[in-house]
Amino acid sequence: MTHETCATTGTLELLHQLFASATHDASAAMCRWTNGLITLSLDEVREIPLEDVCTEIDVGEELLTMVVLSLEGEVGGEMVLTFDNHNGRQLAAALLGQEVSAEPEWTNLEKSALTETGNILGCAYMNALTRLIDVELVPSAPYFLQDYGASVLQQALMAQAMTSDQVLICRTGFHREGEELNWRVFFVPTDAMRLSMEHALRSASHLKTKKST
Amino acid sequence: MVFSTVLKSKTDQHVGMGQIALGSGATRLTAVLGSCVAVTLHAPRHDVGVLAHIILAQSSGRNSLPGKFADTAIPEMLRMMDEAGVPRESMVARLAGGANIFGRSGPLQIGNANIEAITRLLQEQGIPIKAQDVGGDKGRRVSFDCQTGSLTIEMAGHPARVLQ
Repeated sequence: MTHETCATTGTLELLHQLFASATHDASAAMCRWTNGLITLSLDEVREIPLEDVCTEIDVGEELLTMVVLSLEGEVGGEMVLTFDNHNGRQLAAALLGQEVSAEPEWTNLEKSALTETGNILGCAYMNALTRLIDVELVPSAPYFLQDYGASVLQQALMAQAMTSDQVLICRTGFHREGEELNWRVFFVPTDAMRLSMEHALRSASHLKTKKST
Repeated sequence: MVFSTVLKSKTDQHVGMGQIALGSGATRLTAVLGSCVAVTLHAPRHDVGVLAHIILAQSSGRNSLPGKFADTAIPEMLRMMDEAGVPRESMVARLAGGANIFGRSGPLQIGNANIEAITRLLQEQGIPIKAQDVGGDKGRRVSFDCQTGSLTIEMAGHPARVLQ
């Protein structure tokens, strides 16, 4: 299959609206999970040439702590929640009601706290997308990773790289009491997911035009 | 859009996904890899080397970045080395990458497919693989010394390793 995707500015704006709506739901879930401490905002929805991904997306070449959720099936994608080590440790400590650990190795409890955060975020995000595009999405169990952010993002992009030299990435940021945190969520849809989203947006836009005439 | 780069400065240069870069002297070419594979070509006594950051095995006739696919990257690397005056018979290859970070089983093993395709293509061209560090489930950060041909590999939780 060869499907060279290249979104118009209009399509990207519509995709931005769709992801903003899903981010809103994920933010509400995160706010409940952290007792009102943390909220999310959509940073950007971009289409980037493959060769520029690592320089354009500020994921750096350093080791990061991550939680990955995969959407299984053709209409799928990857969701990657990233933290630097310090921020990840701080979140785990806040959720567990304990001091920030200085041990080099993460305990299973700390890993569970982060994995559960990924699960809550991912499920809220996927429920919103399911409602918006009317396609059932089945997320995998979330898993904990410590690796180079660029390596993990690269792996997440493979489904798109197979059919296109441009990749669509949605990036979300986190805030604590208005202050930006060094946490990110990247969502990388497969081509089939992207087509489903674009189809849903076109249908909604068509309905809107019909109603107004 | 940058397809390939010829570098002459003595600095580190990042090689993005699907790119090929040629460097000389003390230039170090760097890349961060997941399932992608870094292939380097170098010739002892020649002050030049090339690194490709290969994403997938087969182009299947698609017109894309030459460095994106193994079957288009290897000929392009050889062309660049030929142009730099490096005799084919003195070249050796080193490989790194091809991990399966998400740990999935099933038919779509991109890292393995990349390694197999690259190994076969190099064999067909008569280029020996001097050293490799491939597979596994961890990402790699690599740095290629164009002068010596050595490839330094860093992985999370492991000490750095140098492929001489």
